[in-house]
Amino acid sequence: MLLDLSEEHKEHLAFLPQVDSTVVSEFGRIAVEFLRRGSNPKIYEGAARKLNVSSDTVQHGVEGLTYLLTESSKLMISELDFQDSVFVLGFSEELNKLLLQLYLDNRKEIRTILSELAPDLPSYHSLEWRLDVQLASRSLRQQIKPSVTIKLHLNQNGDHSTEVLQTDPATLLHLVQQLEQALEEMKTNHCRRVVRNIK
Amino acid sequence: MELSEYVQKGFQMLADPGSFDSNAFTLLLRAAFQSLLDAQADEAVLDHPDLKHIDPVVLKHCYTAAATYILEAGKQRADKSTLSTYLEDCKFDRERIELFCTEYQNNKNSLESLLGSIGRSLPHITDVSWRLEYQIKTNQLHKMYRPAYLVTLNVENTDSRSHPEISFSCNMEQLQDLMGKVFKSSI
Repeated sequence: MLLDLSEEHKEHLAFLPQVDSTVVSEFGRIAVEFLRRGSNPKIYEGAARKLNVSSDTVQHGVEGLTYLLTESSKLMISELDFQDSVFVLGFSEELNKLLLQLYLDNRKEIRTILSELAPDLPSYHSLEWRLDVQLASRSLRQQIKPSVTIKLHLNQNGDHSTEVLQTDPATLLHLVQQLEQALEEMKTNHCRRVVRNIK
Repeated sequence: MELSEYVQKGFQMLADPGSFDSNAFTLLLRAAFQSLLDAQADEAVLDHPDLKHIDPVVLKHCYTAAATYILEAGKQRADKSTLSTYLEDCKFDRERIELFCTEYQNNKNSLESLLGSIGRSLPHITDVSWRLEYQIKTNQLHKMYRPAYLVTLNVENTDSRSHPEISFSCNMEQLQDLMGKVFKSSI
């Protein structure tokens, strides 16, 4: 599957052959850093001064590179497809190799970052539990009422939340049973067939 | 057990065969238990024809005294000797004491169950449902190809009678972790 690069995109990337391969590597590093932490326009100005070009040109170059890397990572295109896509830009052999290396080195991390953009439900982080026995309450003395108190840690969009819940031993056994069934389901033929064939 | 003068006075009246004959006594006693324990109890539980001849103020007083005593006895888990002692002090005859204790014994479990269910506690998990899905792509990321679980805990709040749900997603390893921990706590 080849990448579809727009004219504007090709224009932005046209800046790359005009600079050293070390500069291109540096742009690659900046691009991934911006994906991790957000962009920082001051970096563009610094680089523009050193290279003696406008900061707009630098910005376009970095953004073009970023888009190239994210689109390739999103679609998980093969090495061959990447090389063929970049070939239309008419760059040198050396630059093409550099771009491919940038793609392969950063693909995994970029995909992790992209997965965080998906519509998100709170996800499981960890769980703590405690066994209690209620001995008395305001309305009834001399009780022996066992219960399990659970602190559920969840993550959502980087925020950490906790839920404190309680349950009785009978329900707890029921929970264990149900979750066991859930895990067993992955081992059934049906699920195995789906996982094997949809790739 | 600390009981007020009001309760004591009510019981003293209840002990008097002149004010309450055997039948009336039994009816009042049963009415007291019924209205405490039966959720669908009729509001007009004291409207029995065999209680009509008794002064309504006296009737109400004795009924309230009985209900108060029953709840206090239930709360303190009073045994038969404690009950007998108090009733003797209120001048109950042997027969009425026996009747009261028998009626109390019959209703003891329901009473304790009712009292035990009153009170605040943490949200209580009542059930769990799960969904297994195979993630293929999102608009930001294609070719994901990984299984994921969505787990929903049904939770009940004792006070507000609300039923919020707690949902979260997890992958296989996380579910195994969750399972392991929950399992350990159940041993």
